[in-house]
Amino acid sequence: MRIASTQYHTTMNRALQDSSVTVGNIMQQMASGQRLLQPSDDPVSNVRISRLNRQEAALGQYRTNIAALKSRLQQNETHLDSMNKDMQEARDLLVWAADGSNTSSDVNAMASSLRSLKDALFYAVNAKDQEGRYLFSGTATATAAVTYNSAAALGARYSFTGNTVVQNVVVGNGVTQAANVSLPEMADMLNLLDRAVAVLEAPGVNVNDPVVQAEVTASLNGVDDAMNSVNSKIARLGGAQNILQTMDDNFANVSLSNKQSLIELGQLDYSEAAVNLNGYTTALQATQKAYGKISTLSLFNVL
Amino acid sequence: MTIINNALTGALAAQIVLDTTSQNIANVMTPGYTRQGVLLGAAHNNRGAIASPGDGVKVSSLLRFSDGYKNLQMWLAGSELGQRSATQPYLTQLEQVMGDDSASINNGLDGFFGALNAASVEPTSSPLRQQVVTAADALAQRFNSLRQVLSVQRISTQQQRTAAVSQINEISRDIAILNDKIVSSTTTGASPSGLVDERDRKIDALASLVGVQVIDQPDGSRTVTLRSGQPLVVGKTAATVTVQSTLTGAQTLQLVFAHETFTLGTSGLGGQLGGLDEFENNILAPLTQSIVDMASGLAAQVNTQLGAGFTMAGTPGGALFQFDPASTSALLKVPAGFTGQDLGFSANAAQPGNSDNLLAVIDLKNQPVTVTSLGAVLLGDVYTQLTGKLAMDSQQNQDSLKIAQTVRDQAEANWKTTSGVNSDEEAMNLMQYQQMYQANMKVIAVANQLLDSTLAMFN
Repeated sequence: MRIASTQYHTTMNRALQDSSVTVGNIMQQMASGQRLLQPSDDPVSNVRISRLNRQEAALGQYRTNIAALKSRLQQNETHLDSMNKDMQEARDLLVWAADGSNTSSDVNAMASSLRSLKDALFYAVNAKDQEGRYLFSGTATATAAVTYNSAAALGARYSFTGNTVVQNVVVGNGVTQAANVSLPEMADMLNLLDRAVAVLEAPGVNVNDPVVQAEVTASLNGVDDAMNSVNSKIARLGGAQNILQTMDDNFANVSLSNKQSLIELGQLDYSEAAVNLNGYTTALQATQKAYGKISTLSLFNVL
Repeated sequence: MTIINNALTGALAAQIVLDTTSQNIANVMTPGYTRQGVLLGAAHNNRGAIASPGDGVKVSSLLRFSDGYKNLQMWLAGSELGQRSATQPYLTQLEQVMGDDSASINNGLDGFFGALNAASVEPTSSPLRQQVVTAADALAQRFNSLRQVLSVQRISTQQQRTAAVSQINEISRDIAILNDKIVSSTTTGASPSGLVDERDRKIDALASLVGVQVIDQPDGSRTVTLRSGQPLVVGKTAATVTVQSTLTGAQTLQLVFAHETFTLGTSGLGGQLGGLDEFENNILAPLTQSIVDMASGLAAQVNTQLGAGFTMAGTPGGALFQFDPASTSALLKVPAGFTGQDLGFSANAAQPGNSDNLLAVIDLKNQPVTVTSLGAVLLGDVYTQLTGKLAMDSQQNQDSLKIAQTVRDQAEANWKTTSGVNSDEEAMNLMQYQQMYQANMKVIAVANQLLDSTLAMFN
């Protein structure tokens, strides 16, 4: 077959260009560590990588939520714990007050302590967050959990004005966890405590009077009920935190496997790239040498 | 003196061959140059003498080593290459913009839904609510910048089309002029080889702009038509193609040839024009519509869901996104003055801490939106699928481009095997015809000696 003189140049030009493009791509892959320089290098892997990235972003957000929720639950737990301590102290005072050997002035003094504890508990149940929203009134966060009405009859002055609706936090795809605690039981307890304080702080109160004893016992029972209820809520908070920890660990595992997939799909295999680079560089050099030799061949050189 | 005359015709013929060889050698690197040769023929003895072998050599004609079929193959390959290579830069730019994960709409959606998820931890927290508004704004910006890239791409395809059309007109005129010159030089008997080369180069350039069919005419001119049959050049008359803009912002092509007006179909044009058309109508337009659909679906669903909820103040939630399908720079926008307080996260007007409606908004990510070219797809997956589709289109075009390049290279190589100059061959011609010239000169010298011998007899 006839071959035109310029065909050598054209062929060589094309070969050199193709090799240079390939070598350039490998260098770029090696510099970035990415196997895919643009989506069309491998459209299917690109879609899988994109989906894994979306899942990773969601997992990251869930884990951030879990961490924030755990701190919120711990905060609630701390509040409930301190209420529990106050109630325990009130209970001790009530038990002591029920002792028939107490003088009326002893009991009056105890009543004054009980009043402070009652006020502290009222304050604690109406705890607010940094933005002034009530922590224990369910989802009615703009309303106090327990409201005091001095005009009402004794024993009905405290009323629960929040609700018991659960506020759910997203901790997984379609998975939510209750974040709030509402304390309706505190209003009943505060009313009973209120009545007991009123009886005990009366001047010349006789502890052995069956009416007084009945009030103290009722109050004691009320405090016990409230403590049981709060304790079970603390236990639930603890349980929720354990569940969150388990979910977080699961998410961490899923995230780890996602990252491994991402590496397999998107990261460059350096040894393979190095071998390829070597191969193409050698081919490029060989082509250049061949061109150097062939271009010196011309009949005109011997004329 | 037949000897001297024969030798003279030989020497002159050798000179013509050497001339041709020198022309070939001079043009060894000229693109599109078709090598020439000389056809020699023995001159017959016209005088009827029995013992006369003939009247030397004559140059029958100058040869042009050209194969019409190979030309056509080259032009066909040029059209395919022009079509694929016109599209690729647009596809590459688009997939780089859409594939950049850190700047993509996907990333913006992650940020938006991440902010909503974060707000569920404390739905009443002002900073967390504000973060949702900020993330919504960032998401809107990403939609807008992609919409702008798409709009700029449309403008540049249209500009490129306008430029290609004016080139087509210019080249068609040149071909018509060359047709005219070639026809007249053929009638005067001059060799039109250089002009034919020039015309072939023009046709090659034209083929890369738009697919053409070329028909040789007996008078030496060439008729060039579009693939769909409308004439571009007939004899010395060239057509004019014009670009018309329609009300929708699209472009249509019209061809005017000698008072006849043809409206050109949008598909199957081939060449650069065909590639631009394919990209604009089959890739860019559906993609733009899909992005607009996605923005529309997102805005409608988020606004509806937020509107069903209540703000911190207990009023119905406000619309977070403003959607304007006509705008190329503000497709989505968060209304000015929209604050975190206006987000309707609560399902109950009396319960600001309620997050049930917020959970419904978060779930929108897993709800389908209807998007042109994809159908009903989950909101969170639309963009990934669009990018995947674009990547496949681009990959397909890259493969076609590679094939077109190979076919074109092959066609060029094929053309060169017939028409290209080989300098070794020319070097041999140079030596052979130099020898032929010298031999004829020697014959004249011998004839001269014979004459001298004859004259010497009379001394």
